[in-house]
Parts: sequence; structure tokens; C-alpha cells
Amino acid sequence: MDMNEIKEIFFQECEEQLAELESGLLKLNDGDRDPETVNAVFRAVHSIKGGAGAFGLDDLVSFAHVFETTLDCVRSNRLDPGPEVLKVMLKSADVLADLTNAARDGGSVDEARSRQLIKELEALANGEVPQASAVAEPVAPVSKAAPVAVAPVVNDEGFQPVAFSFDDFETDEPASMEMPTYEIVFKPKSDLYAKGNDATLLLRDLSRLGEMSIHCDMDTLPSLDRLSPETAYFSWKVSLKTDKGEDAIRTVFEFAEWDCDLDVSLVSGETAPVGEELPMQPVPFDLSILDDEPVGPIGVIEEEEQLAAQQEIRNAAVAAAGTASNVLQMAQSAARAPAEKSAGAAASAAAQSAAAQQAAASAATPTIRVDLDRVDRLINLVGELVINQAMLSQSVVENDANGTSSINMGLEELQQLTREIQDSVMAIRAQPVKPVFQRMSRIVREIADMTGKSVRLITEGENTEVDKTVIDKLAEPLTHMIRNAVDHGLETPEKRLAAGKSAEGTVRLTAKHRSGRIVIELADDGAGINREKVRQKAIDNDLIAADANLSDEEIDNLIFHAGFSTADKISDISGRGVGMDVVKRSIQALGGRINISSKPGHGSVFTMSLPLTLAVLDGMVVTVANQTLVVPLTAIVETLQPEAAAIHSFGSNQRLISIRNSFCPLVDVGRILNFRASQANPVEGVALLVESEGGGQRALMVDAIQGQRQVVIKSLEANYTHVPGIAAATILGDGRVALILDVDTIVAASRGQSLKPEMSLAAAG
Amino acid sequence: MASKKTARKTLSLAPVLDLNEATTLHEKLLGLKGSDLTIDASAVERVGTLCVQVLMAGAKTWEEEHLSFTFSKVSDAFEKTTQLIGVDIDHLMAKEI
Repeated sequence: MDMNEIKEIFFQECEEQLAELESGLLKLNDGDRDPETVNAVFRAVHSIKGGAGAFGLDDLVSFAHVFETTLDCVRSNRLDPGPEVLKVMLKSADVLADLTNAARDGGSVDEARSRQLIKELEALANGEVPQASAVAEPVAPVSKAAPVAVAPVVNDEGFQPVAFSFDDFETDEPASMEMPTYEIVFKPKSDLYAKGNDATLLLRDLSRLGEMSIHCDMDTLPSLDRLSPETAYFSWKVSLKTDKGEDAIRTVFEFAEWDCDLDVSLVSGETAPVGEELPMQPVPFDLSILDDEPVGPIGVIEEEEQLAAQQEIRNAAVAAAGTASNVLQMAQSAARAPAEKSAGAAASAAAQSAAAQQAAASAATPTIRVDLDRVDRLINLVGELVINQAMLSQSVVENDANGTSSINMGLEELQQLTREIQDSVMAIRAQPVKPVFQRMSRIVREIADMTGKSVRLITEGENTEVDKTVIDKLAEPLTHMIRNAVDHGLETPEKRLAAGKSAEGTVRLTAKHRSGRIVIELADDGAGINREKVRQKAIDNDLIAADANLSDEEIDNLIFHAGFSTADKISDISGRGVGMDVVKRSIQALGGRINISSKPGHGSVFTMSLPLTLAVLDGMVVTVANQTLVVPLTAIVETLQPEAAAIHSFGSNQRLISIRNSFCPLVDVGRILNFRASQANPVEGVALLVESEGGGQRALMVDAIQGQRQVVIKSLEANYTHVPGIAAATILGDGRVALILDVDTIVAASRGQSLKPEMSLAAAG
Repeated sequence: MASKKTARKTLSLAPVLDLNEATTLHEKLLGLKGSDLTIDASAVERVGTLCVQVLMAGAKTWEEEHLSFTFSKVSDAFEKTTQLIGVDIDHLMAKEI
């Protein structure tokens, strides 16, 4: 594992921390005053700072430091996180993200902006606590019981202020012989263990600070039957003679402070052994045997990293701790050499706690990071496996008409296994949409700032999972739509107030699963689409005839036409010539559909429906004019064998089918795709009742149903060229290519907008 | 000292006694209840507090049931860790070894 890889891990963790930071701040913004939320926010910034320090990323460290100092004021209730404060903090979170990105990819940062924010943060840290303008708690978390610590709130270099304890003066100077004795009461909570930390590690570090004796309180330990093995029962009273000072003691517990009750008190310079009534057990100073174990909290470091780390440690036993190359390595080497200076102790603790945090993060849900390429290769191979399995089944059926039952059973099992493998592999790629949604909240903030509108973004269903490719491609259209919603959708605060709405506009972003697809909704409570304006604009641009008779829905959907922007003036935000047509195209490229519904005065709702994966789909294999086609199963409501009496003709060549007393247009797929010149006889075929995203049902006429199968999607665009009416292709068991029907386009075509002549597929099959 | 004579059973501890192992160890001990027990901790390379808790709860339970609960062999790491966290196992050490 070289330096770059370690750095890469750091940045990946930064991303997680930044997400944590942002969601925490948003919670605070919503009025959440849970101290744990504040702590989580503080921890996120603190971890980023710690890691950045190890890699010498000074810009990041200094900004994070100022940010952290201000957050500390919030944490200690010296600063109320009101809306104005949070506005600055959210902006700071954005800048922190920018700085992290810049440190990773070498991009640039708006320095003026970050300087301005530093000023604002400092003002917040200082302003609210006038008498403490020059005095604040040091950055390293110190409890209220800590000795008075003098440190500037912020210094220009952004270095962590060294906590300065008067106790050191009092004890160090007169008592040159006697070291001060501290009494430490340490009660871990179960969380401490759940996060992969362990009291043994903390006590080991503590014992290194000096001469220690310990009493373990086992009174709460129940009998074996009533014991819950992952609950913390032990607590400790420690007597520690050390000249390192209270801060060094607290630093040992720095990253455990949320997960334990800790009380440190100075007993005396000389006598007064703590807890005389308690039997104290002296702790042997030579604990070197315990060092030979893998460093760090027990068994929670990701396997690969752990192996690599061990290797690293073996190779680099002599590496100087000061080079701070590897967090793990640092923790190890720093911990081995008894810390001479308090600075050394702090460094070791910081590094170690960084490792502890990393471990804690992975303890919650054990994960490994895998190269995406590897997953993709696996998915491809599984795709081939599925095809191969289908081919095998088919050839067995063809060659052995009787089909010995053992072979058939084996094949069925194989099919089931393949299916399970495929599902599991797909699940690897599935990820929650949360990161994309979180990015949107930043975009909303920035645009709201630019337009002077007050906007609140509400997200729902952020944990809805969808394939990573879909997520990656979702960000861009979504960004554009959010911009549109804030810029065009929402009114200015004045207009909103005039319309009797609250000054703050709401944009709601929702994700949910619906019948095998993910549906993402973007709703705003703005003015809705101005249909008159849209219509006029469409007429001006020759998109529609002046006397065209369009339904409201049709007018709304005009905004998806190329080059359509209704904003009177082209603003900086949207209307850069990239219109909703681009959004629609990118959604369609994902195999998705987009719809709009709008209520004048009440806002608009954009609904996107996307496939969960771009790799496989369940399809119904059908025959149309001797061609084999696949119809996505999700689109099919039911299949039926039409009876002659149920078919009704109207107009020149339109037909309806009556299904349970309602009529539904009958669409001949072979005719629409130009597979055949004349309409087939419905009674000889099968009707597939489909529902399209635009609502409404159609009965698609096909000649016969061959079966139902999971097929591997092969892109037609990448391998051939885009064909209207066809979504993609697949390879069947007999090795032939079958086309996958794009039901929506077919339905749209049946409304009269027929597929163009070049779409004739007679030759393509 | 056992009220009824039962075969003495032996439990060999795993090398790594971490968070994950605590539950397993707990279950193992519950399954061994009712017999005199000798614990072999000679292979232990790493032991966390949770597993020490389980073992001590075991010792307490065995004592309540007047059965013997002893450590036959302990590794250096095991001994050092228990000393470090102030858990005295001297009285649980098998005397004949």
C-alpha cells in the first residue's frame, strides 16, 4: 500500500465525513438540537482536520480548524445554531468539500470565498461570547472539568492550539521529586465496544503515561445466564502517577469520550492514594507483548487494509513518526516509543484515534472497498453465464426431446442458481441515492443565494437503492431540473407573499421503488407552468401550429422540446441553452421516462421513472411477424386471447378491444414497427395489456408468446445504432439477437405520431 | 467439590477473543454449564474486555453452582491483558500446574 493509496482512502473517508457533516447541519437547520447531532458534525470536521494534518494539507487543515472552533462553541452551548449561523456553517461545509476536492484533484478553490467564510466563522466564535473573545477551549475536546486552557480562538496558521494547563505549573515546579497522581474513573458504554474500540487499548495507552494501578469494578457483572455478551459491565478506577499532565490523559480517551463516562481528577502531588478502600492492582509497565498484536481496535479494520497495514509496519519499523505517512503506521510507531513530549503524545493519540474512528466507522456495517472495474467484470461474466445457461437449456431441450428428469432438474437448479448469483451481483452495485440527493441540497443553496430566493429542500427516500450506473448518470439531469425548479419554478419571496404563500419555497425530492423501477419525483410549490406563455413560445418557435388544440398535459410536455426556455431573461443559472430536452434525453438514455404535471399557482411535479439496473430485465419473449421480440415484464399488466366479439373497429384502421366493459386501443406491434404491411388478425394473436408511464392502457398485439425469461441487456446504440421503438437488444438461448421493445415509444406512436419510415425494421431483425 | 460427579470438561480459547468472539464464547460457556471446567487460554494472542467479562461471569456462575472453573494454561498476552485491566485471575489458576 503506497502513500497514494492511503491518501485515496483518506479522501474516500472525507467524502463520508462530508456527507455526515452536511446531513448533520441540515438536521440542525430543521431545529434538531440533539447534542449527538452537534457532536456528529463536530466529529466529522475534526476527523477531516486530523487526517488532513497527517498528509500536510495545510489549506484544508486551517479551514477545518476555524470551522471546528466555531462548532465547538455550538457544542458547548456558547453559540446558538440559529438560521443565520447555520447558513454560514452550510456554506463552510461546501467550502470544506471544495477544499477536499482541490486537495484530491488539484482543482482550484475560490479563495476569496473561503477567506470570507473564515472571517464569518471567527466572528461567530468570538462574537457570541464577548468575554471569551480571546479565550476559548482548545480544539482537542476537553471537558468542563479541564483546567483553564488558554489558546487563541484561531490563529492564522491554523495550528491546533496547545492546551495550557496551570496544573502543570503548580505541580511541576515545587514537586521535582514527586509526580502528581491522578484518579481516573472510566466507565465505558456498550457503544465503545460496538464501535470496535476496546477498554484494553485505552488502558494500555494510559499505562504508558506513568505508573498505574487499577481497580476493576465488576459489581454489575451478572451471572452467565443473564449476561449480554456485548454489553459493557466493567468499569475502572485508575490511579496514575504521571508528569504528562491531565491533557495527556484526556487525549488517550479523546475518541472514546462520547462512548464512556470519564472523570479525571488530580488527587495530590504526594500521598493520598486513590480509593484506599479499593484493592488496587499494580499494572506491570512492560506491556510490550500486547504490542505485537495487530495494531488498532480489534478485528474491525478492513481485511485488506489490515493485511497491508501489517505488511507496512513490518517493512517500516524504522520510519520516523514525524513523516506521518501512514495513519496506522504512525499509531503503531508512536505508541511503541514512549511519548516524550506532550506534542508527541498528542500526535500519537490523534493518529491512533483516527485509526480508531476509521475502525469505528467500519464496525457499524463491515464493508470493503472494491474497484468498480472488478465488479463490472464480474457483472459482465455473470451476464455471459446467464446467456450460456439459457443456451445450454435450449440445446438440451432440442437434443433430448424426452428430457431425462435428472438433467432437467439439474438444469432447473442451475437456472435458479444463476438467477441468485445475478441478483447478488446486482445488489453489489446497488447504492442508495443519498449522495446524489445530498449534492442537490448544495445546489439548491447556491441557486437560492444567487436568485435571492428562500428555498427549502426536503428529501425523502434517500436510502432507496439503485444501480450505480443509474446513480452516476442521474446527477446531471437532476441538477439541471433542480436549477430549473428554483430559478423558474419558485417565485420570488415578494410574489410568494402576495400569492398568500410562505416566503420560503419548498422543493421536494423523493425517491421510491415502484414495480421494479425507481421513481424520482421533484416537486416545487411554485407558480406552476404558465401554459399561455409556453403555448405562445411554442407557436413563436414553430413548434406547434397557432390553432393547434392541445390538452394541458400536452402543453406542459412542450417544455421538453429542444431549445425551449420560458424565462424572460436568460439567467446565469438555467437557460444556458441546455433545456429540458437534454434532461429528457439523458433520462431516456437510462431507459427511463420523465413526466410533468403542473397546477397553476400550486407548483409542478416532475416524475422520473428509471430502471433499477441497466444490466438485466425480466422480459416476455414474443413473436411478431416471425421476429422474436422481448417486452419488459414490468410494463405488462395482463395478457389475453382476444375474441372476435371483443374487437371493434373505428375510423379507417383503428381498432379497440373491449376488456371488462371498457375499451382499450389495440396496437399491432408488427404494423407499427413496419414488420408487415397490413394489420394482422387480432383473433389469431395475443394481446398484451400494457400500462405506459404517461398513464392509460394499450393492448399490444403480438402473434404468440414464447415464454418469460430474464435477459441480459446489450445496448443497441453501442453495438449498432439507435432504433426508435426499440430499447435495447439481447442474446437468446439459441444465440440469436432479439430486440427489446420500448413500450412507451410504441404507445406514443400508436397515438398517431407514427414512427418515421427510416425506422422500418424489416431488415434489421 | 462438585455436588454430583460429572466429567471435567475443557474449553480451549480461540487466539483472537474480540467483539465477534464474545457472543460465541458466551454460547460455548452456557453449553458447558453443569460440569467442572478447565479453560485453556494458551493459544490466546489477543483478548478484549468483552470476552474477559464473559469469562468472569462464567467464573462467578460456576462458583455459585459450586463447580470448579480453572485456567489450566494461559498465554502471556492473556495474562498481561487481565493484569492491565485489573482483573485478577490468580485464584482461578489451576494449582497443579
